[in-house]
Amino acid sequence: MGLTDHEIQHVARLARLRLTADELPVIRRDLNRVLEYVSQLQTLDLANVEPTMHVVKSETPLRHDQVEPSLPVLEATRNAAQVEEGMFKVPRIMDSEGGGAGE
Amino acid sequence: MSEAFDVIIGLEVHVELKTASKLFCCCSTAFGAPPNSQTCPVCLGLPGVLPVPNSEAIRLAVRSALALNCQVRPFSKFDRKQYFYPDLPKAYQISQYDQPLAEFGWVTIHPSGEEAKRVGIRRIHLEEDAGKLNHLGQRLGDAVGSLVDLNRAGVPLIEIVSEPDMRSAEEARLYLTELRAVLSYLDVSDLRMEEGSLRCDANVSLRPHGYQGSLEELPRVEIKNVNSIRNVQRGIEYEVVRQADMLKRGERIVRETRGFDDSTGRTYSQRSKEEAHDYRYFPEPDLPPLRLSPEWIEAQRTALPLLPDAIRRDLRSRGIPDKDVEVLVLDREAYEYWKDAAQAFSDDRLIVNWMLSDVSRLIHLRGETFATATVRPAQLVELLKLIQEGTLSGRMAKDVLEAMFETGQDAQALVKQKGLSQITDEEALMQVVNQVLETHRHVVADYLSGKEKALAYLVGQVMKLTRGQAKPDLVNRLIKEAISGSQAVSS
Amino acid sequence: MSNRLWTEEAVRLHEMFVAGKVSCEEIVQDHLEHLAAVDPGIGAFLHVAADQALAQAKEADRWSTEERQMRPLSGVPIAVKDNIVTQRMPTTAASRMLEKFYAPYNATVVEKLYAAGGILMGKTNLDEFAMGSSTEHSAFHPTRNPWQRDRVPGGSSGGSAAAVAAGMVPIALGSDTGGSIRQPAAYCGIVGMKPTYGRVSRYGLIAFASSLDQIGPMARTVRDAALLYHVIEGPDARDATSLPLTASPPTRSGPWRIGVPREYFQEGIDPRVGDVIDRYLRRLSDAGHEIRDLSLPHTRYAVATYYLIAPAEASSNLARYDGVRYGFRCDARDLVSLYERTRDEGFGPEVKRRILLGTHALSSGYYDAYYLTAQKVRTLIRQDFDAAFNAVDFVVAPTTPDVAFRFGERDDDPLKMYLGDIYTVTANLAGLPAISLPAGWVDGLPVGVQWMARPLFDNALLDAAQAAEALMPPFQFPQEVRE
Ligand SMILES: [Mg+2]
Ligand SMILES: [Zn+2]
Repeated sequence: MGLTDHEIQHVARLARLRLTADELPVIRRDLNRVLEYVSQLQTLDLANVEPTMHVVKSETPLRHDQVEPSLPVLEATRNAAQVEEGMFKVPRIMDSEGGGAGE
Repeated sequence: MSEAFDVIIGLEVHVELKTASKLFCCCSTAFGAPPNSQTCPVCLGLPGVLPVPNSEAIRLAVRSALALNCQVRPFSKFDRKQYFYPDLPKAYQISQYDQPLAEFGWVTIHPSGEEAKRVGIRRIHLEEDAGKLNHLGQRLGDAVGSLVDLNRAGVPLIEIVSEPDMRSAEEARLYLTELRAVLSYLDVSDLRMEEGSLRCDANVSLRPHGYQGSLEELPRVEIKNVNSIRNVQRGIEYEVVRQADMLKRGERIVRETRGFDDSTGRTYSQRSKEEAHDYRYFPEPDLPPLRLSPEWIEAQRTALPLLPDAIRRDLRSRGIPDKDVEVLVLDREAYEYWKDAAQAFSDDRLIVNWMLSDVSRLIHLRGETFATATVRPAQLVELLKLIQEGTLSGRMAKDVLEAMFETGQDAQALVKQKGLSQITDEEALMQVVNQVLETHRHVVADYLSGKEKALAYLVGQVMKLTRGQAKPDLVNRLIKEAISGSQAVSS
Repeated sequence: MSNRLWTEEAVRLHEMFVAGKVSCEEIVQDHLEHLAAVDPGIGAFLHVAADQALAQAKEADRWSTEERQMRPLSGVPIAVKDNIVTQRMPTTAASRMLEKFYAPYNATVVEKLYAAGGILMGKTNLDEFAMGSSTEHSAFHPTRNPWQRDRVPGGSSGGSAAAVAAGMVPIALGSDTGGSIRQPAAYCGIVGMKPTYGRVSRYGLIAFASSLDQIGPMARTVRDAALLYHVIEGPDARDATSLPLTASPPTRSGPWRIGVPREYFQEGIDPRVGDVIDRYLRRLSDAGHEIRDLSLPHTRYAVATYYLIAPAEASSNLARYDGVRYGFRCDARDLVSLYERTRDEGFGPEVKRRILLGTHALSSGYYDAYYLTAQKVRTLIRQDFDAAFNAVDFVVAPTTPDVAFRFGERDDDPLKMYLGDIYTVTANLAGLPAISLPAGWVDGLPVGVQWMARPLFDNALLDAAQAAEALMPPFQFPQEVRE
């Protein structure tokens, strides 16, 4: 029940990684070894076990609604490869890319 | 509806909360600042940063949920919703997935001529807003690139997901209008669709009569990010016709996301859901669960203001006509204006009449609102009192109101300054004259039979009623005209 | 003054500086010279901040005695693992992706180091984004084990471990997600502690697996580790998972009930390592402590659990490296190509492997079987420890099943590498504090022993470790760095 090349390409696409044809066999072998190893967890009876999402703390603290100074725009954009008018520049977005504000 | 299907509509509404700082960092949320001037390591998604939730955002979200009749969960958690897009700095949005802040609410809508109807609210959750993309070019499709401004990234949002309970574009409009009215009384958001602080996506599908499957399985079209309530309605109307035509032609409706073109009134395909995102939700490891004590939640409920339905009941009980009640309720500023005025004045209807006619006309003309109107409620009341006690006629009061708006002065001052009063106002004086003639018919008869002294008596009566402030020769002329006029009519 | 200041403990350097016996500049100068002499053969540092360190030292020399006293790290040079963000030095996480990255802020722990008067000597090497157990997976260069240069120092905090073991600094910060402080400490013969999850702020630690990551001290003695730990511990308003200050649970001065989990001596352990630990346990027993056999039955599932949770969280944490706001960027004509090419060229193979694994574990249809299942097994592992700590004060076990391996030895099979983490990942999964101490030698290579305590018992753990340390010979520098 290992992952096929097609499935691995799907995962790579989700992760925005590009896998070349010669990388694929090694990746497939490594991933499938690990997945086979972790499949041992399926043998445990976990029906009545709660997951541990937070190991020690069980409640988030909250902060006061107080504004503090932001970074100067030059600092905020200083590490960016391409900046225009104080904004981060990205190349053309294809229609199929989707995404968008506040999904 | 004579068609062979029902229209099924559900709405997802995003509301930006009116906090001073962002949801997970201390940057300002103020609108309109220079690009990226309200960003910090946290909202830029720099390596190593962590989120800390803003307590005020949670308070406002809970307040909204309670006002929308939701059950607020004492335990909810944050999750990461993952997708790559340049307006999403961490490549995940901190949101709430399977245990949202609140569930099971409703909004009551009042379709005209029909019974009130409940539209269910499935859930309300908290999440952070994304940044803003400025496309270099006409449209996304032919842009050569885009510029990313992250000032909005991290601004707190609530997402309000309705049940698919609406059956027409009109019901969707009513739902949105009512939702916005409720939220406006809570003071939780600016609610400006044009600035993006209120956004709506509409899910539209057609259910053929006799369809047995679940609503979830119906092919659904999502109209995204429409910028006004009117356009949500137009988009849905267009979409219903488009899908009905397809069904008639025997075509299959595909599940997809569509945009709305304001200029043509049409929706257009953006992306098909077949290649939908796999958001890979998982619990946000950087944030332990949000716990709210039942006592605190109850305290928020107690702190809720009067909401539209209660306001409606109150206004109707005061004899204000339904049509006017709706106008007041749906415009919180107008209602607050009325409320302030009504505290100092007994005739509720008279206030409403003036507000919805002359005051309304003047503020629109001047680009003001009820909240910013030059003439404040107390000043309007003062003017209405002058009418009520007979110092000003309605006609004169209109002029005085205009002058009040122009000069910002009080009614009393203007009346004094311009020497305005009932006395120089023929129309108003005429009322007094008519009243005197009416009550002294025998004196009028005497005058008509030639007794000149009778005229002097009538003039005296008018002078008495106007406390001696009318000009006797004007009164003289008006009485003569009135008597001869009534003679002309009766002859 | 001693002319071999670099051999001194942090505690001693601080004392000498406070007493005015030596200037901070002399201390820093001596360490910089030693560093310059030995690091070319070891490669512990990615960035040496000599000028800044000297400037800091000169400023410290102007402090009054009271000021020096008030700052617990005054006079002490420190190295910082390069996945901890520093404003005045580059922060790369040993990745090409961040090769030219300068952060506009300091990690909370870095702020605390400065406030305590510590001298930041520079940034140390690691496996890229802390993913690895050998520091071979640094995008820039490997780090060598100071004891035998053809062997790895362990990882991912291999740079910090090697720097401390070779005397370049007395103390250093590391980070531990599945053993990344304790395993290199064991391989390099030093002390390394992973505090209770939440005891030390993670703000400014470049996230690998958020629910497991924890910053901790590395040193040549327990009291130096404790000195550094007490500077960095404490709640942080910027980290919602950091713990509020609670009174330290009362510490028993011993003798202790020491639990030895039998699962840590089964399949895969190098018998020579097993022998060292047996002898170590005998010393404890001879010193009057009670040694008890116990079972942590879910230990065998720990690596599988860890290698689902950690990559899943990593795949999410590393999604932000897209070439848009910072970091490496490949030019491309459209957005998807920008993302894919940037991430393809910016990340190394081990990082990509884990991103793929983690993305798969969270993807539609697999979440329940993988991530959720792993988090449930995590509960069972925690419960094992809860039960154990009802019966004993501490759990003691080998830190690693082996000693430092040769370069390239574990390259062919990632699973083999992952299995090396078997004894350390449990503490991360259970959130509890653990410390690795030198326990002996196998063929001239150090062997580490690990002490674990229940969550929040960090101080008790340090006290016990210090007492246990006295049963062992003191630290000696490797021959090659002694000159
Ligand atoms: Mg949303
Ligand atoms: Zn910010």
